[in-house]
Amino acid sequence: MHLRRLWLRDFRCYEQAELVFDEGLTALLGPNGHGKTNVLEAIGYLASLSSFRGAPNEALVRAGATQAIVRGEVDNAGRSVLIEAEINAVGRGRVQVNKQRLPRARDLLGALRVTVFSPDDLELVKGGPGLRRGFLDDTLVSLHPRYDALRSDLDRVLRQRNTLLKQAGGRLSDDVATTLDVWDAKLAESGEALAAARTELVDRLRPAMAGAYDRVAGRHAEVAAVYQRCWGDGSLAEAVAASRRDDLRRGLTLVGPHRDELALSVGALPARTHASQGEQRSLALAMRLASHEIVLAETGTAPVLLLDDVFSELDPARSDALLANLPVGQAVLSSAAGLPQGAQPGRVYRVEHGHLAVAPAA
Amino acid sequence: MAVYAGPVQDLIDELGRLPGIGPKSAQRIAFHLLKLPRDDALRLARAVVEAKERVSFCTRCFNIAEGDACAICTDPRREASVLCVVEEPRDVVAVEKTGEFHGRYHVLQGAISPIEGIGPEQLRVRELLARIEPEGVQEIILCTNPNIEGEATAMYLAKLLGALDLQVTRIASGLPVGGDLEYADELTLGRALEGRRVLDTG
Repeated sequence: MHLRRLWLRDFRCYEQAELVFDEGLTALLGPNGHGKTNVLEAIGYLASLSSFRGAPNEALVRAGATQAIVRGEVDNAGRSVLIEAEINAVGRGRVQVNKQRLPRARDLLGALRVTVFSPDDLELVKGGPGLRRGFLDDTLVSLHPRYDALRSDLDRVLRQRNTLLKQAGGRLSDDVATTLDVWDAKLAESGEALAAARTELVDRLRPAMAGAYDRVAGRHAEVAAVYQRCWGDGSLAEAVAASRRDDLRRGLTLVGPHRDELALSVGALPARTHASQGEQRSLALAMRLASHEIVLAETGTAPVLLLDDVFSELDPARSDALLANLPVGQAVLSSAAGLPQGAQPGRVYRVEHGHLAVAPAA
Repeated sequence: MAVYAGPVQDLIDELGRLPGIGPKSAQRIAFHLLKLPRDDALRLARAVVEAKERVSFCTRCFNIAEGDACAICTDPRREASVLCVVEEPRDVVAVEKTGEFHGRYHVLQGAISPIEGIGPEQLRVRELLARIEPEGVQEIILCTNPNIEGEATAMYLAKLLGALDLQVTRIASGLPVGGDLEYADELTLGRALEGRRVLDTG
């Protein structure tokens, strides 16, 4: 799978832009704040219909415009796929694939897959457990769209159940009890399914992560990843039942996969608190590389790599190791500090003040 | 934000309260109505008043009805022993179009959804229970929507009705008839696989 062309209209700082991508490496070079990441963000938008920076839709539309359009031509095993996304500052957007309007955003999943590396990835290791759960869920969705449905089902059940708990005001009337029974059953059903999927995914990620870590760090370390259910080994249904009184008092659902953790360790010490900054960076890169590897193995197509200014954050040894160990396939990188040593892009764009110019390839 | 003179703004506000009508549409419809010949506008107003005064909910099944009971409840050819439970009157129309169902309906007027402030007591559940004995109901088909709220409502009713001596069934989910498998979305096709059945090979 590779992206051939990208057209932007009123997206972020771009009024109009057109880019052609190399089948191998394309580099976007230029000072910070001039629009390099915006190009990567637009590519990411075509894959997931959301910004990997977590920006809301209205932030993607150029100031003064009401609608942004991102179009991308993807080559999927020789077949040309045109993805067109209309992003509205107010209201819902629209998506078309090969000029056919998609009834549901979910139908787009799989038309273009990306793996994003960004400087914020360090937070995967250092930040709260929600980011790690999000990492697992995003990888699951890349593997199969049914996980997108599972995730949104669970979100909806949690919202309904939490609202009911708040409405109850701490008292358990018969009416509340019978209605709560129903939401408990729904929570147990989708919660067990998501936790099982995440556990299975972590079992597959673990060896890939350990291998990638050694390659990026340039030396061997014991890297472990363990999925921890917040309710232990028993059934979620029992745990939810046992937690009912506390849930009612707090007006919140206190057990479920929305409170689980992906525990990471380097050399048998918890990575979040005990690993050095360098180890944390290597681990974050290893997580992204492992996720990429598993999506490639499962779907048979390599996701497009989006490398958002990651090399400038790395010391020279890690930067070289990452570049040497990049998976085969298409990659688009942005850099404010010039090309990393050894990178051989087939195409280079200079990005300045929201203008793109083709520069001679290195 | 009142921008227009009193009655015009009132009209826009009222239209804006309708489902699926935002402020822009409300404004457009309001100005369209103002341009209409007087008779056309009055005809619309009369239709609203007439519908509101003559149409109400069936006292038995809570479908829309002219008078006390709806056309289905008063039809002697309908079987009283089978009840199809749906969320909204428009679902009755959908099931009726199939021509496959010859029993009666019970309209819950919603589905359990704490976010919208709807619990079992806001639905016509008590009225459903009250019908079972006197009408001699033997089967209840739970025909709520196949989404989270519809499934939760079906589960709630199944538990409630489980103690009674009658059959409770849930409609199946599956593929649209006359379509091609390749165009089915993964979720529907997955559900259809789950709900597969044995073919008679004899």
